[in-house]
Amino acid sequence: MRNFSTVFITGFKYCWRNPVSVAVLIGFPILIIFVLGNALSSFISPDYDFEPIPVAAVVETDGNFGLFLQSEEISQFLEVNFTYKENALLLLNDNNVSLVVEEKDGEIAVTRPQVARHDTQIAVSIIDSYKQVSTAMEIAIMGAADLSELSELLKILESDITVTDSPIGGRVPSAIDYYAVTMLVMILLFTGMNGLELFKKSMFSETGERVLITPVSKPALIGGLLAASTVTSYLQGMVTFVFSGVVYGVYWGERIPLVLLTLFGITLFSQAFAIFLTILLNNINAAMGAMQVSIFTMTFVAGGYTKINFGAAEKIFQYSPNSLAHTVIFGAVYGGNESKMTSDLLLLFAYGTVLFIVAFLLGRRRLA
Amino acid sequence: MLFTMKDTVKRYRALTALDHLHLAVQKGEMLGLLGPNGSGKTTTIRVLTGLTKADAGEIQLFNKNAKNGKSAITDIRRRIGVVPQDLALYETLSARENLEYFGKLYGVRGAVLKKRTDETLEVLGLTDVAGKSPKKFSGGMKRRLNIGCAIIHKPELLILDEPTVGVDPQSRNHILDFLCEINRQGTTVLYTSHYMEEVERICSRVCIMDAGRVIADGSVEELTRSVIFEETITLEVKEPAPSLPEKIKKIQGVTSCNVENRAVTVTSSAGSGNLSRILEVAAPYVILGVSAQRITLEDAFLALTGKKLREGDA
Repeated sequence: MRNFSTVFITGFKYCWRNPVSVAVLIGFPILIIFVLGNALSSFISPDYDFEPIPVAAVVETDGNFGLFLQSEEISQFLEVNFTYKENALLLLNDNNVSLVVEEKDGEIAVTRPQVARHDTQIAVSIIDSYKQVSTAMEIAIMGAADLSELSELLKILESDITVTDSPIGGRVPSAIDYYAVTMLVMILLFTGMNGLELFKKSMFSETGERVLITPVSKPALIGGLLAASTVTSYLQGMVTFVFSGVVYGVYWGERIPLVLLTLFGITLFSQAFAIFLTILLNNINAAMGAMQVSIFTMTFVAGGYTKINFGAAEKIFQYSPNSLAHTVIFGAVYGGNESKMTSDLLLLFAYGTVLFIVAFLLGRRRLA
Repeated sequence: MLFTMKDTVKRYRALTALDHLHLAVQKGEMLGLLGPNGSGKTTTIRVLTGLTKADAGEIQLFNKNAKNGKSAITDIRRRIGVVPQDLALYETLSARENLEYFGKLYGVRGAVLKKRTDETLEVLGLTDVAGKSPKKFSGGMKRRLNIGCAIIHKPELLILDEPTVGVDPQSRNHILDFLCEINRQGTTVLYTSHYMEEVERICSRVCIMDAGRVIADGSVEELTRSVIFEETITLEVKEPAPSLPEKIKKIQGVTSCNVENRAVTVTSSAGSGNLSRILEVAAPYVILGVSAQRITLEDAFLALTGKKLREGDA
């Protein structure tokens, strides 16, 4: 126990006095949240005062497509100017509209401006939703799909273009709220590098060899290092947590203890994962490489960078450590399914514990 | 014996690093372990300290064997101090914190630890910089702190793997004097170095290793005598008579005597102690100077291994 505290205190000092580690683990995350949060919040935040996108339409106003463009829902998004083709192209060239849409022989075609506008893609997506509905209806009419399935499909498409408030808690996360969570989770995963650096110094370097030939017991050594890197990493995560709330106004909800517990769970997981990789690969540099690749992959599949639909694989990816942490934190902040949150939190802690135990058992021989 | 290694074998794939090595050290000895690069010195230390497992052989330290279990290993480790070849320090901790950390890992605590830390800093000349990080130290100061971390717990056996590499002469003298002092106080020392003169200066016994085996073992004098069969004495004589070489050749042990201008070169068998007899024979002449070729450990090493000690060094 005495050696555990000795290793813990020294490891803690080592981490905090390492200027590169502190710069990377505090400065970098703040920068990431700042860049992503600010860049994206001005673009897709629900607080953004959304102006309908100007579109020129060469369309019969009393046809299905014409009626669709004139519908109340669509008018929230698109400001449609029904005109003839030459004038539509003139408007486009003068940058007065973001898109020209034309219906000809039952086909819908769009013309984009030569200089890209950020809202063109939104307009294209809305037009595309009409095409999908039309296609689905055609399939149904041809008898290729069951009408009940069609109605389900239409509901989905409808939800794509209908503005609704979030069903959870009456509050909608802004871009910076979303990225603060996903980036903080990713950053805490990256603090596993903290652990790797400490393990490298204290077990896999000249200094580490010197430590290994002292009478210190391996449980005290590994436990002390794990505790030091976990506490250091967690505190560094807390700096980012507080900074995001105070400086960027990120909303962390009312259940702060649950959020902090989840962040601790992901920190513990990252440290255990780092030790596991180190002992499994028996090579600190390989472990560092594997750690980086794994973190980017886990963040990607959890939608940490951008929300992606992975289809059937989604069910598996929701058990990635990032996803588990996201579920619990977003649930804690905006109101979520309590039993799902509890099981995900327990699973997150279980991952860390199991990895650590496996790593310890694997390493017993190598470190003997 | 403080430690013995019998028939120890260590292989790294096709390379045999230790080839049935036999090595033993008595309590209180200061043993110099010499060998060209790749001769197995560092592997010997790694096996001895338990960092590397031997493939075969028997190793006993303090009459205990690592096979005797955890408590035996812990006891052995507590009694050994190791100074690795490279600096093994925490650069973000101060000199004092480094010493205290390793002291605590060896079980030294409280007032004893504080006293020993102060003593170690004092004896290594680091008291004034105790609170500073080793990053700000000169090479010599870092090396001294590197040694300090190995002696803070007052080990019975101190193992040093080339501890003076890159050290200025002043720091080197400081380190060597310090090692002699702790050896006088009873610490057994196993010392490897590339600097032959250091080994000659401080070690009571020298083992020369090559290809994973000890090929020569003895005091510096014994080793030089065992491999050098002749010694050379050169006299500078003002006007050497033609009869002088003949007179010198009659001295027992002299194998040849040649005169060239003023230089009279005499070779005789090693250890014959002929200098005084030669001077007696040459006394009637005006002797301007005398020089004797000093047989060094380097000569012995070269003769035994066929290599210079620093061969292949950058």
